[in-house]
Amino acid sequence: MARAGGITNAVNVGIAVQADWENREFISHISLNVRRLFEFLVQFEATTKSKLASLNEKLDTLERRLELLEVQVGTASANPSLFST
Amino acid sequence: MAAVPVEEAIAALSTFSLEDEQPEIQGPAVLVSTERGATSSPVEYSDVSAYRLSLSEDTKALNQLNTLIQEGKEMSSVLYTYRSCVKALPQLPESMKHSQADLYLETYQVLDLEMSRLREIQRWQASASSKLAADMQRFSRPERRINGPTITHLWSMLKLLDVLVQLDHLKNAKASIPNDFSWYKRTFTQVSVQWPDTDSMREELDDLQIFLSTRWAILLNLHVEMFRVNNVEDILQVLIVFAVESLELDFALLFPERHMLLRVLPVLVVMATSSDKDSESLYKRVKINRLINIFKRHYLIVNHMGTIRAEHDDFAIRFAASVNQLLLLKSTDGADIEWCKEIKGNMYDMVVEGFQLLSRWTARVWEQCAWKFSRPCKDAGPSESQELLSSYSDYEKVVRYNYSQEERKALVELVSYIKSVGSMMQRCDTLVADALWETIHAEVQDFVQNTLATMLRTTFRKKKDLSRILSDMRTLSADWMANTSKPESEFQSLQHGGDESRGNFFYPRPVAPTAAQVHCLQFLIYEVVSGGNLRKPGGLFGNSGSEIPVNDLKQLETFFYKLSFFLHILDYSATIATLTDLGFLWFREFYLESSRVIQFPIECSLPWMLVEHVLESPSAGLLESVLMPFDIYNDSAQHALVVLKQRFLYDEIEAEVDHCFDIFVSKLCEVIFTYYKSWSASELLDPSFLFALDNGEKYSIQPMRFSSLLKMTRVKLLGRTIDLRSLIAERMNKVFRENLEFLFDRFESQDLCAIVELEKLLDILKHSHELLSKDLSIDSFSLMLNEMQENISLVSFSSRLASQIWSEMQNDFLPNFILCNTTQRFIRSLKVPLVPVQKPSIPQAKPNFYCGTQELNSAHQSFARLHSGFFGIPHMISVVKLLGPRSLPWLIRALLDHISNKIATLEPMISGLQETLPKSIGLLPFDGGVTGCMRLVKEQLSWGTKSELKAEVLRGIKEIGSVLYWMGILDIVLRELDTTHFMQTAPWLGLIPGADGQTLHSQNGGDSPVVNLFKSATTAIVSNPRCPNPTSFYTMSKQAEAADLLYKANLNTGSVLEYALAFTSAALDKYCSKWSAAPKTGFIDITTSKDFYRIYSGLQIGYLEQSVQLQPNNHDVLGDSVAWGGCTMIYLLGQQLHFELFDFSYQILNVAEVEAVSITQTHKNHHFVQGWDTLLEAMKKARRLNNHVFSMLKARCPLEDKTACAIKQSGAPLHRIKFENTVSAFETLPQKGT
Repeated sequence: MARAGGITNAVNVGIAVQADWENREFISHISLNVRRLFEFLVQFEATTKSKLASLNEKLDTLERRLELLEVQVGTASANPSLFST
Repeated sequence: MAAVPVEEAIAALSTFSLEDEQPEIQGPAVLVSTERGATSSPVEYSDVSAYRLSLSEDTKALNQLNTLIQEGKEMSSVLYTYRSCVKALPQLPESMKHSQADLYLETYQVLDLEMSRLREIQRWQASASSKLAADMQRFSRPERRINGPTITHLWSMLKLLDVLVQLDHLKNAKASIPNDFSWYKRTFTQVSVQWPDTDSMREELDDLQIFLSTRWAILLNLHVEMFRVNNVEDILQVLIVFAVESLELDFALLFPERHMLLRVLPVLVVMATSSDKDSESLYKRVKINRLINIFKRHYLIVNHMGTIRAEHDDFAIRFAASVNQLLLLKSTDGADIEWCKEIKGNMYDMVVEGFQLLSRWTARVWEQCAWKFSRPCKDAGPSESQELLSSYSDYEKVVRYNYSQEERKALVELVSYIKSVGSMMQRCDTLVADALWETIHAEVQDFVQNTLATMLRTTFRKKKDLSRILSDMRTLSADWMANTSKPESEFQSLQHGGDESRGNFFYPRPVAPTAAQVHCLQFLIYEVVSGGNLRKPGGLFGNSGSEIPVNDLKQLETFFYKLSFFLHILDYSATIATLTDLGFLWFREFYLESSRVIQFPIECSLPWMLVEHVLESPSAGLLESVLMPFDIYNDSAQHALVVLKQRFLYDEIEAEVDHCFDIFVSKLCEVIFTYYKSWSASELLDPSFLFALDNGEKYSIQPMRFSSLLKMTRVKLLGRTIDLRSLIAERMNKVFRENLEFLFDRFESQDLCAIVELEKLLDILKHSHELLSKDLSIDSFSLMLNEMQENISLVSFSSRLASQIWSEMQNDFLPNFILCNTTQRFIRSLKVPLVPVQKPSIPQAKPNFYCGTQELNSAHQSFARLHSGFFGIPHMISVVKLLGPRSLPWLIRALLDHISNKIATLEPMISGLQETLPKSIGLLPFDGGVTGCMRLVKEQLSWGTKSELKAEVLRGIKEIGSVLYWMGILDIVLRELDTTHFMQTAPWLGLIPGADGQTLHSQNGGDSPVVNLFKSATTAIVSNPRCPNPTSFYTMSKQAEAADLLYKANLNTGSVLEYALAFTSAALDKYCSKWSAAPKTGFIDITTSKDFYRIYSGLQIGYLEQSVQLQPNNHDVLGDSVAWGGCTMIYLLGQQLHFELFDFSYQILNVAEVEAVSITQTHKNHHFVQGWDTLLEAMKKARRLNNHVFSMLKARCPLEDKTACAIKQSGAPLHRIKFENTVSAFETLPQKGT
């Protein structure tokens, strides 16, 4: 069974592979942490958005209440004579 | 290494609180993928050469195939998204026929661009076919000179073949392409007339025409290319065996690979069996039954739903558990290394299982989709005729009408399972990444350092060739130094503690092998088992004729399959994105062309059908999945942009999504509103009624959970973020106002009796508002009610409702309703009203503007109907509740003004009647008997000409009486409310009942209990030195004192009726001189008096006589309120005794009595006075009624002291104010009309 090839310089390749493992550990580590950082930013944005949304909701309610109060005050100040006593 | 600070910095980020209480009920939306590296080598396998395996030829060929695959995919995108240009060509109007040539030129230029793309496809497929064929031939020579083909190479061959197959199918399916081409050719003939030398172009055109019009041109061409030199059978057989085994063993982790194999397998079989000899040799290796079995499947999801549900639940729990374990591990310092490995290994297993599940599920959706496409619906329901079915477009037949209710439900469920498992796994991407790397690293190292070592020591010792391959495997992937990265001592201890037989121990390193390493390992294993011989009989790991023992073969096989999984697991988020991509459910290019439309309506769109199904389905459990189908749109938009690269498709999707989402929100709001409305309506339904009912459950509603939907502030749709919660809140605010408006409109188009119904409906609305407010912040109900009542002004006390009630009373109630004293009710007179009342027609609305559902509507309506025919105490309670202390005084004032106005208008009429009275009317003589008396009365009261006037006066008196009686009912109701109020406040104010029915204060001059309570609480709290803010408690205590004062002041409220009587009395005082002349003589004036009582007496007898003559018991002409009005006026004018003495009917009753006695004595004949029987009866009745009224008046309005209550501007009544008898005393009331 004639098989062509096979690793020609096994020792050198073994050393290179070992070095490669170590280099890649560093790369994996950095890339994973960059991804974690990225994920944090995405989540941060998301939570901020929901917090803003709930704030917005409260403001909306207040705004409508204020509008109503303004109208009420408007009716009162249009008839000052009623409140003079 | 400098990595520690990075890790610390990242870990510090986790101290931020990032909780946002968003329920996970939507899909992962589109992921931004940072890694698509592992599966397809990012450096095009250029690192393979570093391992010196002499694979350069193979790598070169492999990269060439991969480039072709990439190009081919782009070609199929072009073909798939091709839309006919000719359809858009304008027709030239008659007037412009002369510029036909220009049109041809323009058309030619447009089409030329498209056709050049097709030409490119034609050229490309020719070169791809020849390259694929050449590649196959090179690797299938029996005497092999180069290494390969590697497993990756085999996959690439299959993939390229698949691309070619798909391209051929697309070319066959697109009818618009030959169509456009023939136009192109026509315009070319027209345009090219002037051009020199068009022969080559014409030739090229003919070539393209043949390519386009020949079915299966690409595959035919490939076949020709392959068999040009007749030695590809070997590689074809290898490919078939590989495909069959992969399918049988579920070797393909991702369903797209599986589908690819399913697509190319038939083509491969057809090619490999082109001659009898070949087919014989193929079927020797692969039995035909195996092939047939592969294609047998059940395609409908409904049939698998039970299993899928169980799988989902089980997996979700176990996955979450292992994630928790992993989190626990991360937070533990110095964890046991074995435990670490176990947890991480477990996580790895869960991820693999998750991928397998997702792959299986998504494949099911694909397969059902394809199955449905091939089986259009046959029947469109029993009601729809065959003609209707034929009018449906093809797409409607395969999609819109092709999914039953259960199938839609199953699809929604499955889609949400896929999406939720997908996003669950996606969320912990960076959490599990290093655990996965570590596990994969450990697996690889365990194999190459332990398993291979054992094999080399035992089985392969004598086999030089094979053991060399095995040691090559070790060389290219072993990480010997990973076990020394920790301090020696620790390593030593681990070594000692570990199991010796386990072989080498290596410290875990979170780094995964590269694509090239996996590629080479797979190649080498394949080399070991096949011996580099393509003709090896049997399967890949079949044991026939092999020199390797079964045990080792099994280990090699297991590791071989694991290797191909590794890459997909390393591509974690890319794999999830592929496995959860359901965008294909939207695409329908093929049907657009066959139906000759530009786009289908959304009803035909599968994602929308699913959303609609969820909204309309009666099973509430699906509700939380309603956002999941929208993720399909995200997927398809992503597909349109990234894979198909077609802007117009994206635009179409976007337009559809915009439209769908709008409809979705409005439908959802409808559902929510209806649900809360029916919930509150069913809660407010009388419980005893429900208890007595057999089918009471019809009125109870199924609970639905909207709370998580109502929390969604971030719905991710096509890259946008939508605040669903605020959209819903906005619409709810609107719909509540609309509902209020509708209820008022409805009340305004009915009469006053509908007030009970109005109150009930408002109660339901208010309660549903209360229920909804727990989940959603919407405007307060009182704010909305005031707004819709037009009641927000500080200076106006009327409201929309109060004005409506008043105008109703004035125009309809007082003239047209009559009183029944016995039942205390007003009912509508049977008489046709003088002035017909104009009312708008009753507005109609959806059931949810009443009580929610039809059943609840009819239940509540049957209650409302009980009150719709009369006006009585229940109505008054409603009036009081609805108007409240703000508008009620306004209404009272309006009614009192009505009384004084009526009296003023009566005055001239009564004067008219007084004028026509004879100068003197004596007492009725007894000797004439009843008959004589009646004759006498008739002669004297000769008001014959004034009958109109008479009726008018009676009506006026009746209205006054009605108002007074109405006030009486109001008084009863207010008393009731006051009592309740008193009972609630008395214990707080320290009121206790005394011995003689008086209320006593429990404390003598001291503070009431409520003040005491707050005061002592305040002192207790303030004395505590840790109290942060004592001022607020002082304020509270002051407020308690204010409340005490306020409530005490309101304790003894006066009576509205007494006030009304006092008011009437004051109004009458003006006419005292005219209606109650003091006798000049000082004695009682009997004969010449023209006082009011005399007029009323005359009116009463005339009225009694008339009512008796008209019809027996026809008492409802004016009702009992005439007596109320008349007697009150008489009483208040101080003429009660006069009336009782000199009233004509009373006198006649006396006469009749005497007569009756004398007749019984003499004739014993009861029938003598028979002619007057009914009249006498009526008179008696009137006398009884009058007596009742007088006794009531005496009780409520003793003439001696004219005291009454007053109502202050604030609405608070004052008790027992002494009034002077002038109208001006009542000026304190709020003025009507302000």
